[in-house]
Amino acid sequence: MTLPSDHPRVQFRTVGKSYGEVAAVRNISLDIAAGTLVTLLGPSGCGKTSTLRLIAGLEHPTSGRILIDGQDVTHLSAAERDVSMVFQSYALFPHMNVLENTAYGLLASGMKRREAEESAVAKLKAVGLAGFERRLPSELSGGQQQRVAVARAIVLEPKVLLFDEPLSNLDAKLRRQVRDDIRALQQNLGLTVVYVTHDQDEALAVSDRIVVMQGGFIVQDGTPRDLYERPANRFIADFIGNANLIPVQVMACDGDLATITLGTVRMQVPHRGLSPGPALMAIRPHAVRVAAGKTGVPFRGRVCKAAYLGGHIEYVVAIETVGAEVFVIDGNVHAPLAVGEVVDVSILVADTALVPASDEK
Amino acid sequence: MGFRFTLGLATVLSGLGMSAPAARAEGTVVVYCGVNEAWCRAAAKGFEEKTGIHVDMTRQSAGEIYARLRAEKDNPRGDIWFGGTGDPHLQAADDKVTEPYQSPALGQLRDWAQNQATRSGNRTVGLYLGALGFGYNAKELAEHKITAPACWADLLKPAFKGEVQMADPNASGTAWTMLATIVQLMGEDKAFAYLQALNKNIDQYPSAGAAPAMAVGRGETIVGVTFQHDLIDVAKTYKEVRVVSPCEGTGYEIGSMSVIAGTRHPVEARKFYDWALTPEAQAIAGKNGSFQIPSNVGTPVPPEAPDISKVKLINYDFAKYGSSAERKRLLTRWSTDVKNAR
Amino acid sequence: MPWVIGFWASLVVVPWYGLEAGLSSQSWPAAAEAAWHGRSWLLVLLPPVLLASLAGGLRWPRLMALAGVSGLLLLALEAWLIAGKSQPPLGWGALVYASCALVVAAYGLAWQGWCRGDVFIVAAIGAVCASTLVFVGYPVSCVLISAFRDNAGHLDFGLFAAKITDRSIWGLDCLTGGRNCGVAWNSLALACIVGVLSTLIGLAFALIAARTHFPAKRLLRLMSILPVITPPFVIGMSLILLFGRSGMVTAWLNHWLDIPRSRWIYGMTGLTLAQLLAFTPIAFLVLLGVLQGVSPSMEEASQTLRSGRWRTFTKVTWPLIRPGLANAFLIGFIESLADFGNPVMIGGNFRVLSTAVYFAVVGAAQDQGGAAVLSIVLLAFSLTAFVLQRAWVGRRSYVTVSGKGDSGQPGALPRSLHVVCLGVVLPWIVLTASIYGIILVGGFVKAIGSDNTPTWEYFLTAFAIGHGDHGFFLAGSAWNSLFTTLKVALIAMPLTAGLGILTAYLLSRQRFAGRGVFEFLTMLSFAIPGTVIGISYILAFNTAPIELTGTGLIMVIAFVFRNMPVGIRAGIANLSQVDKSLDEASLTLGARSAATLRRVILPILRPAVVTAMVYAFVRAITSVSAVIFLVSGEYNLATVYIVGRAEFGEYGLAIVYSAVLIVIIVSALLAIQLLVGERRIGRREIAQKRVPTPELAQA
Repeated sequence: MTLPSDHPRVQFRTVGKSYGEVAAVRNISLDIAAGTLVTLLGPSGCGKTSTLRLIAGLEHPTSGRILIDGQDVTHLSAAERDVSMVFQSYALFPHMNVLENTAYGLLASGMKRREAEESAVAKLKAVGLAGFERRLPSELSGGQQQRVAVARAIVLEPKVLLFDEPLSNLDAKLRRQVRDDIRALQQNLGLTVVYVTHDQDEALAVSDRIVVMQGGFIVQDGTPRDLYERPANRFIADFIGNANLIPVQVMACDGDLATITLGTVRMQVPHRGLSPGPALMAIRPHAVRVAAGKTGVPFRGRVCKAAYLGGHIEYVVAIETVGAEVFVIDGNVHAPLAVGEVVDVSILVADTALVPASDEK
Repeated sequence: MGFRFTLGLATVLSGLGMSAPAARAEGTVVVYCGVNEAWCRAAAKGFEEKTGIHVDMTRQSAGEIYARLRAEKDNPRGDIWFGGTGDPHLQAADDKVTEPYQSPALGQLRDWAQNQATRSGNRTVGLYLGALGFGYNAKELAEHKITAPACWADLLKPAFKGEVQMADPNASGTAWTMLATIVQLMGEDKAFAYLQALNKNIDQYPSAGAAPAMAVGRGETIVGVTFQHDLIDVAKTYKEVRVVSPCEGTGYEIGSMSVIAGTRHPVEARKFYDWALTPEAQAIAGKNGSFQIPSNVGTPVPPEAPDISKVKLINYDFAKYGSSAERKRLLTRWSTDVKNAR
Repeated sequence: MPWVIGFWASLVVVPWYGLEAGLSSQSWPAAAEAAWHGRSWLLVLLPPVLLASLAGGLRWPRLMALAGVSGLLLLALEAWLIAGKSQPPLGWGALVYASCALVVAAYGLAWQGWCRGDVFIVAAIGAVCASTLVFVGYPVSCVLISAFRDNAGHLDFGLFAAKITDRSIWGLDCLTGGRNCGVAWNSLALACIVGVLSTLIGLAFALIAARTHFPAKRLLRLMSILPVITPPFVIGMSLILLFGRSGMVTAWLNHWLDIPRSRWIYGMTGLTLAQLLAFTPIAFLVLLGVLQGVSPSMEEASQTLRSGRWRTFTKVTWPLIRPGLANAFLIGFIESLADFGNPVMIGGNFRVLSTAVYFAVVGAAQDQGGAAVLSIVLLAFSLTAFVLQRAWVGRRSYVTVSGKGDSGQPGALPRSLHVVCLGVVLPWIVLTASIYGIILVGGFVKAIGSDNTPTWEYFLTAFAIGHGDHGFFLAGSAWNSLFTTLKVALIAMPLTAGLGILTAYLLSRQRFAGRGVFEFLTMLSFAIPGTVIGISYILAFNTAPIELTGTGLIMVIAFVFRNMPVGIRAGIANLSQVDKSLDEASLTLGARSAATLRRVILPILRPAVVTAMVYAFVRAITSVSAVIFLVSGEYNLATVYIVGRAEFGEYGLAIVYSAVLIVIIVSALLAIQLLVGERRIGRREIAQKRVPTPELAQA
């Protein structure tokens, strides 16, 4: 039933959506390839859920067009689109049991009851809920409800499967498991998934591609590695993984590299399109090494805070020459540093990125 | 592409079953009946048996029928307006929503019935006469140790304070007849002085004309002013009720009948009209618990009816007290001087 | 596309004229009428059909919308401009044409993305708006316009100004020692008191029924339902028989306790009591649904936050049932304003607007303009109440049925509240029981209270079954009206409930222009006294283009549009508790909105559906005033018969008939309850143990 992928599965062409005066989505253009899991990531109110609902047909754009498999669905209602959605609240029908919930979409599309129930049972088995068919949603745990919601959506074999913050109602342990289940399911079945979350860890873990949104705009669109290693601006650098944003001065650009000064130290890093002037250097916490003693490295710092977390230790270290505090994750738990200790600080330049000093759009 | 517009469909389907109204065939007459249900039904049955013409009968109060005729006047649904107090019949004649017809039986009718036809240009005719009066509850009267009232004047006795009921003439044709009667008996100013004095004894002015009769029957009040035949009717169930025909004289209503203008069944309507004036048809009333004086001289007066020789009827001026202007003036005066005084 | 085919059929197959004559009439389809009967103006109806065929084939949204809208406009123009004798009233052809044009327009608009591209929603909004305009807006405006005319029919604004400021409406004499205040003040005071008290008593009942171990809950429900199913004036009558000056209770008190007999029951006190008896049950039904919908885990959450039962009730439960309270109040308020039977029976000198309207129309004064003026005052009150209600409910969220399974248990009532509720409910049950005792006994004794000899006379007059040459036949005088009544009520019931719930769904789930106005319009026919509705229907539907008087259909329509608002109110109150993501989930699972409505919303809304059906059925059986002008010999209704008897003092017959109606209605209610069943959303009954296994949960 799927076409050869001449077209991206979902296309947004300068789509805008506003509620009266308030614009939720501003002229977004976006392509989503078939068989990929794309995450819409951003803080709350950034327009990611609106974008998801635009794909579902639960909202209709005020401007622009939306295509699914090359077909213009801009004005099609949700029921006419081959798209399923897993809701944040799961939206299980409280008056139907698990089986009825799962078979609901199949019956709505005109399948015979027996066939529909057989597929539903199969899908419930696939999500590990065999034997729960006759229960009401209120008799299931949160994780089980979530899996019913997923089974209910995938049983329709939709062209696009949408997830709206599916993990937000689960506890931390379950979250990781369900996250992995979703990813495995997507890859096994070759599903096209659009996934909304505000949790960057979740996004990094499951996505083929991440679309970061802010204020109704797309700020960056790329693979998790792109976003992490080459953030487009300080917002993304800070939002995706933690980053120490240290002010630097770009002195000159030469080829791909820029010469910058960090405090009193000069170094060369990829300039990423920046021209000479002030900029920020995003330094990942694990890219900073700290060690006691004097080894002659350029930076010296003093430990302000230390927190032992089992697998690693988190430090906050004040670097006098730069005039900034950096957040450090150190794997060496066997030689903890004491608060107040003066330490050598080195930076793995490969794990840093330059970003513009201010986020202009 | 085919969702079902279930609701609309349901309406249409259910409509199919309900939409055919009464057969418009020859041999039907639509009667708006203004007398009591039992009489209406018996009359309809009697006419059907006599002529084979189907009677499509609806019972409503006279005021309701008049309001309905006015609303329906561009496309009348009814043929005959049978019974109900005379004033709205006269108003309807004024409005030309009823049409003139002179029955061959007109000559057999008592004077008051013929006069009713004359003053309306034959648009209506008298069917029965009901005399106004009042009733009292003998048991309650005895308990309160009051002598039985016989005259309008007796109702002013202080002993009756809060024990008299009459309907509100603004709402009820019965009470309007009483107001007009008092004015004709005493002259307007004296009449209003009387009504003001009576107001002190009035417990309430209900809206429905027959309500005081029922209140007397149940002992909710001692005296109720209404038509004598309504009181007689209640007295059948409540034995304590006594009917009084006031000594000063009293007014009356002429229950009437009209052919509705633009009738769809003119032939059947006239047949019904002629039949309703026969002694045979009029005798149905008495057998069904309505004890007015029938209009045909040949109809035996039911034994329960008030003895007309003992009732002192005034010369009621229907032309004057039926006119809208006079009615409005007196009602306004009554509302300000009587009801809202105090 | 089927609707375009229907569009064609409406012109060339279905007879165009004569709705009242049915399909077998002598009217021809519009095409034939135009070709052979010289009604060539009907040809203007053709272009929209051609346009729709073209646009439907090419899937051309704007043209499709144009075709539908122009079809509707041209039909309206054709019907109203060429009225009168040159063409008969519209028939089935016109009805089909209008429906198809509406749906065609809906397709056109939905293809352009209206209502999120949902054809059903656009069509439903269109259909509900159009039918409300035709069957509420149009007739009501026919009557109200007469407020501005004098008796000869000329426009006269001075007269209107004089009438509407009249002392009989606005006078305040009762405050300064006079006998009467203006009817407007009387009505307003009464409606406020009845609205508030009926809501509170209804709440007490609902709390007892939903949150306690009250042993006889079923009895409670039945008892509370009884007053709804009683013809209104019967309650007034029974109150007089009990508490009137010669009433049984009064006589007893006088005899044993030497309390002097008085007529306190007549007037505002008695009227308030009668109306409370009549309208509290509706508040109960509305509030019960809402209370059952409140998520137990919210109450549990509150209790874990160190709030006692009382604080939980006042800070969580009470605010959450606010939409229910507001709707219950609104219904009580408006019912009280429009009530006719009780004020006539027991009002005494206490005049209210609804009776004033009635007697202005049919009373000695015969002043239809005056009635219209009073109706305007009445409507102004309703409108104000409506606006205030909306303001009080506000924009807060009351969602408590979400898509997440909820396994909490509803909290117990605060002890003091429990006591108060019982204190309200128990005496109320005793009062109701005695009233219905009177009604049941009253029909089988000669004259209750004065001559208590048992008799079958009344029952046999009404419901005798004779035996003649051709076997058994129904000899009683009431059979005919009883069957007509049941037929009309049974047809009106599903239509009323369906339209009411659909409207509630549209109002609470869809955003469209003019929604507030539309909502008020649907309340309009409810807020106006039945008499005015009756007259307005005759004025509007007695002549072409829409001629319905004399048919059974007009009664069904009158009932549907008059009783629909209760379904709407209950539906809105319930829907405001249901998480929107449930509808959305169903839509994204490929169920169109019609299917979503049927398979997701309706089952969750069962309490509202029951309320709407019960109310629709009961009101169709018990209401008098709206239909008294619409009945014809063929379609005579039970209550009209009862009133006809009661008016002439034949209380025995009236009571016996009422008792029979009550028995019938109670059986019908039980049937509805069985048919629709309880809502199954997996909330545990209070005090039930956990249901651990799936098998048990099924039961």
